[in-house]
Amino acid sequence: MKNRTNNFIISLFIAIGVIPFAAAFVYALLYSFGIIGIANDGFTTAFWSAVWSSGTFFQSFLYSFSIALVSITLSVGGALWATLKFRKQLEQKFLSFILYLPLAVPGIVTGFFTFQLFSKSGFFSRIGYQMGWISQPSQFPDLVNDVFAFGIVLSFVTMIMPFFLLLFLNVYKNERVEELSVLAQALGANAKQVTQRIFLPILIKKTWVIIVLYFIFLLGAYEVPLILGQESPQMLSVLIIQEIKQYDLDRISEGYVIAVMYTLIVSVAAILLFLPRRKPAYET
Amino acid sequence: MKLSWKPFVLSLAVLLILFPFAYLVLLSLASDWRFPDLFPSYIGLKNWSKILSSETGLLTSFASSLLISLSVAIVSTVSGFLISRAVFYHPKKNTLTLLAYFPYILAPVVFAACLSFFFLKMGLFGNVMGVIIAQFIIAFPYALLFFSSFWNKKVKSYEDLVATLGGNRWQTYIKVLFPLAKGLLLICFFQTFLISWFEYGLTSIIGIGKVQTLTIKVFLFIKEANYYYGALSCCLLIFPPIVLLYFNKRYVFKKLA
Amino acid sequence: MFLEIQNIVKNFGQEQVVKNLSFSLDAKKTLSILGKSGCGKTTMLKTIGGLLSPDSGSIRLNGEDITHKKPEKRNIVYLYQEDLLFPHLNAFENIAFGLRLKNIPKSIITDRVNHMLKSLELENQSQKMPNQLSGGQRQRVSFGRAIITNPSLLLLDEPFGSLDAGTRHRMQGLFKNLSKEFEISSLFVTHDLKEAVLMGDEIGFMQAGNLKVYTDKNEFIADPETGVEEEIKFWGALAGLEKNVDLKKH
Repeated sequence: MKNRTNNFIISLFIAIGVIPFAAAFVYALLYSFGIIGIANDGFTTAFWSAVWSSGTFFQSFLYSFSIALVSITLSVGGALWATLKFRKQLEQKFLSFILYLPLAVPGIVTGFFTFQLFSKSGFFSRIGYQMGWISQPSQFPDLVNDVFAFGIVLSFVTMIMPFFLLLFLNVYKNERVEELSVLAQALGANAKQVTQRIFLPILIKKTWVIIVLYFIFLLGAYEVPLILGQESPQMLSVLIIQEIKQYDLDRISEGYVIAVMYTLIVSVAAILLFLPRRKPAYET
Repeated sequence: MKLSWKPFVLSLAVLLILFPFAYLVLLSLASDWRFPDLFPSYIGLKNWSKILSSETGLLTSFASSLLISLSVAIVSTVSGFLISRAVFYHPKKNTLTLLAYFPYILAPVVFAACLSFFFLKMGLFGNVMGVIIAQFIIAFPYALLFFSSFWNKKVKSYEDLVATLGGNRWQTYIKVLFPLAKGLLLICFFQTFLISWFEYGLTSIIGIGKVQTLTIKVFLFIKEANYYYGALSCCLLIFPPIVLLYFNKRYVFKKLA
Repeated sequence: MFLEIQNIVKNFGQEQVVKNLSFSLDAKKTLSILGKSGCGKTTMLKTIGGLLSPDSGSIRLNGEDITHKKPEKRNIVYLYQEDLLFPHLNAFENIAFGLRLKNIPKSIITDRVNHMLKSLELENQSQKMPNQLSGGQRQRVSFGRAIITNPSLLLLDEPFGSLDAGTRHRMQGLFKNLSKEFEISSLFVTHDLKEAVLMGDEIGFMQAGNLKVYTDKNEFIADPETGVEEEIKFWGALAGLEKNVDLKKH
């Protein structure tokens, strides 16, 4: 009796949590090999070799990877630094509420706002004009839709740095880093040693799964690069959707090739991250 | 005397955090704000008063966003909680957890693109129900994984205790498990609400522009280069979460104290 | 016999945790069971309470076969070492919990809970939340919560294990009184030799999944396995030593 209910609930889990993912993956896989799809007629590896030889995927992947890596590094580094320097001040009621505010801003708004500030006719360009640094909008440097993805990285950092700061403050408290630091000092450690041997190892060790998780989220981010990205290369999600939404029917299949590759990569990442019975110490 | 630099950095950080909110409000109040003016030539409630008229459709968007997000948050929190119990007490819980991480980790917009065929076949394309179901599919793994740490040995002991005291399953949930998980349920509700409220890519694909949530509106206005209405929609998008955040955070702190 | 356990076996994978367990207990009696951690006593109690199902064997309570009955229908309460008070309910509501499950009229619940609070010497603590109570008080509330449902059998798994010596001593006395007042039948598991002797009408000794029940306390004391003899030797030797020291002083 008890077992039957349990089995029923597990099959519900499979129905909601597993089948859609499996269905989506199989659909994309079949499409990428030409087995299904409006203009496709039977199995072919043409789309795969087309994507493979054009290099679009690898360019896009490398581009997304670099952007995500830079953004995560800056965010985690900044948040660690702020935790180290401003922990006590950030416990004040007003400041702790202020810290939560950025969590209320979605990617699409961040992208929009960054565009408003840094575009050629944006807020900073106007300040530049008023100060006499530039005489017309085109002289303002490319900071959005630019080669170096300045706008995208800036948006990502403003979105996730506050989150990591809150996370680190939380871990700092829960893991009793304060007490351990005092203990280390009593054992003769200086401030630098306390940071290097107590503060950083504990905080990183307790949160690295979440850091990797956010890296993967950034890898697949959509709204921000959609607003602030350039023509080419594009971040993965933007590229995939652009290809799938094409009128050129061959390109749709190629879009699914990229979707399959992307899904495989994040799935392998998920397996590596979560299979060896490691749970994130802090639920996000 | 050494002058501390910390207060300056902190004040600057506070200003930087508050600046976007102020700027967006200002932009939503503005019109005719051309380069190189630092301030708009018009500041007033003109745009906001338009919300009340149906011309922009923002009020409808707000209502449908609210309907979608509340449905997604309630359904995914409750089902996530109930189903996570069976999953995390299961002997194969590691494998099941891993399966839940796949949809969790995949970009929703790519997920939606690969699922859209099935939604089309089931008549769930371009309607509110379809968007709710699609968002539920991505919010559910989050909710499920969220409760993983709740189902520990101690909670199992509580369940056993209630059983030996004569309580049935229903009573166990109502009288013990829900009260014990109250704080977590609230946070999960809040988070899944936000996942839905902020969702753009998946909604745009499954809703095909017919289901116009606020994020869809923001993007439409950006495309039209109508930044004033864009900012206005941003304000509508941001302020409900801030209100929720205020209450949610206060609640969490009270529990911790 | 009131409780009859026959040939209970319980395995976890390859490991046989409870081996061919058979014993019986009279009504209104306490059987204390001495055993080190890992000897299978918790598994035994959980099996009797219905929280684990045995691989073979039978359990009869008051003449009825309850081997396959659901825990909530057995009227057997299992108490953990941890007090497990419901953190969202105050002391009064914690004690009333089992009664509320049974839809008993409110006025009767109030009377019975107040009576119980008095027996537990907790009259002034009724409105306090669990985190405002001391360890001993919490354990008393936990007892009250179990006893008030009038269980046929009470299973106690190291109930005083987390208490300090003084509190533990007081709780032992209190439990004796409660047992008498509410006519409780119970299995009392402990790893404390003295507690086992003090609490039980009968004594059993559990080792590596086997339980041996002694007919009287002398037999228990005489068995070298239980460690009583060793204890006596230790204190005897110490007392002898003290005597010697005293003699030398003079």
